[in-house]
Amino acid sequence: MMVQETIVWKGYLACVGEDSCVVQSPWILEEDCVFGADSDHTTLAVAAIQLMQNNGCQLNSINSLQDVDAQIITMTTGVEVIQPLEDDSIELSADWDLCIGDDARVVICKNDSDIELWEPVGTIEVDADFHQEITSAWQRECEPNHVSQGAYVSQQQYEEGAAARLNLSGQSIDGKMIWPPRQMSDNGVLAPQASTPLQRVATVESWTKLAAAGAPSEFSFRAPILGGITTVFVRFEQGPRGVFLLVDDEDNDPQIGDQVQFVTRRIYAQEAFVRYGLKCQIVKQ
Amino acid sequence: MPNTTRRVMVDVAVIGAGQTKYGNHPLGLKAMWAEAAAKAFDSVDNNFEAKLVDEAFIGSVAFGGAQLGNTAAILTEHSGMKGCSVRRVENACASSGFALRDAMMAIKSGEADIVVAGGIEKMNDLSAERKRYWLGVSGDTEWERLAGLTFPGTYALMARRHFHEYGSNHDDLVNISVKNHMHGFENEVAHLRKEVSFEKAASGFMVADPLTLYDCCPTSDGASCVILAADHVVREFTDDPIWLKGSGAGSDHLALHDRSSITQMSATQKAVAQAYKSSGLGANDIDLAEVHDCFTIAELMATEDLGFANRGEGGIFAREGRGRRNEGDVAINPSGGLKSKGHPLGATGTGQAVEVFKQLKGIVEAPRQIRDAEVGMTHNVGGSGATCAVHIFGRDR
Repeated sequence: MMVQETIVWKGYLACVGEDSCVVQSPWILEEDCVFGADSDHTTLAVAAIQLMQNNGCQLNSINSLQDVDAQIITMTTGVEVIQPLEDDSIELSADWDLCIGDDARVVICKNDSDIELWEPVGTIEVDADFHQEITSAWQRECEPNHVSQGAYVSQQQYEEGAAARLNLSGQSIDGKMIWPPRQMSDNGVLAPQASTPLQRVATVESWTKLAAAGAPSEFSFRAPILGGITTVFVRFEQGPRGVFLLVDDEDNDPQIGDQVQFVTRRIYAQEAFVRYGLKCQIVKQ
Repeated sequence: MPNTTRRVMVDVAVIGAGQTKYGNHPLGLKAMWAEAAAKAFDSVDNNFEAKLVDEAFIGSVAFGGAQLGNTAAILTEHSGMKGCSVRRVENACASSGFALRDAMMAIKSGEADIVVAGGIEKMNDLSAERKRYWLGVSGDTEWERLAGLTFPGTYALMARRHFHEYGSNHDDLVNISVKNHMHGFENEVAHLRKEVSFEKAASGFMVADPLTLYDCCPTSDGASCVILAADHVVREFTDDPIWLKGSGAGSDHLALHDRSSITQMSATQKAVAQAYKSSGLGANDIDLAEVHDCFTIAELMATEDLGFANRGEGGIFAREGRGRRNEGDVAINPSGGLKSKGHPLGATGTGQAVEVFKQLKGIVEAPRQIRDAEVGMTHNVGGSGATCAVHIFGRDR
């Protein structure tokens, strides 16, 4: 049974029941639900799984079609994503299904359960030109021949640090939390594997908004459309600090001392490979 | 030939120094380097020949990849030094500051008597898009760049935090910009030779909030070259050497988030402590300092880290004009600094040494000459502070 109340979750709109949830983008264009500036089905799926987990649901694995990045979902949530292969050699054996359609909406439900229609409250009409421009920018960015002309994070390098990036896994060294992970301690001792997650709340210690011309080239297609990009320098309660982009849908300037939470979003793409990561949302008091 | 017997306590002098004009340079890498080297050779008072050079250390980030490998070999080939021991030194914007330190150490080791330290960068022959990819390659690529940061962004984070912790403000940065443009206006080799009013500098368009266009150095082409000599051969070349009295270098975490503070640079603090100790001098002894002002906040923080201002008072130092040429406590960036003279990455460190060499020799264009200059400093930072080299020069040995 799904409660029809709309909640705001990770920057999306959602409703949740005992064995199902729907998560969708808040953006509407001519009655269609469309993605925001840095979202896709993978980021919506991550948010949906996290919503179920937040409500106490024991989700170990989930069936899904191949329209989402299973590796990103698993690294972020710990949930195994079972996707069919073309030869049908993998059985969709999980008790839960991740359902996605043509619009910016995902559903998680138990196998064969019925989903009630839900009318979300709080949708926002997106500017059609903006939506067209940002969608087109992502299409260009995701093309295989869109390659770096200089600084570069290879797919291998990204994947090496992805777990720490997506689930904030840190290291405990001499009683001190370290994040992002290091190879050795300051005393030259090999550091343990990153396995201690940081709390997903932090405080802004500094921030900047880069004009489109000041942003790295990785963002050069989208930064002009977004009017620049905002980066926050934050301190986690356990001590480590980090830099994160503010979610692209956030239009408020942060302030030093603001609390932020973390959501999974697209960062940028090169060579048809999307780099996902955590971005910050200011916690409204 | 050098005396290869291990020699300790060798003193090192600068006997020559030269550089190209900085800016959007019409020459390519080989021609720029040849021009800088030729000017350095010509600046030596007596009897210098390129073939006398035992070792050469050439700093370059190799911006854009025009000659990523064997940069030093092709440059020395085109400047009469073919055959000597050469290598490229890469430590981002501090590349030639470290080249200078390596050159000094080569002489102090007893393995070389005449050593060239230099630097070069060609940045303006790239398309705008390719240039944007290369700007910021020396920052933390995996974490900072994926968070949208290149150097304007990292220095903006430092600036806003400094404002928050110490009450400094953007007007303090504007004062630094105005001063450095005033200093660089009469510098014949400066990239941006124009004076800027406080009002204009305060109203530049925002690059990385709170830093505006007038807080940022330009993207420059240029080459610079200094010639060092061991004490026992100095008199063959000049009766008026400039002594390299102290040197220090340090490093720090590459990424800001790993550092204990983002309002000071521990690499600078380590480097300058070594330089003061090895020279027996202190901040009060410095008459002029070429400081790494890639962004105005970098100069503000450096005046504190180098000991010219108390911790947290870099803004007051700037506000009171204590770094102005022939007016303040110490002339900060009499060349115009990176802000006005320009910043050809790999060439900047030894370019600072060229300025100090000329100031201490008393051969700078009249309006820019620091009166009674006896001791000068160079401060060269790599990236957002991961590396730093500091050198102290003096007229007395």
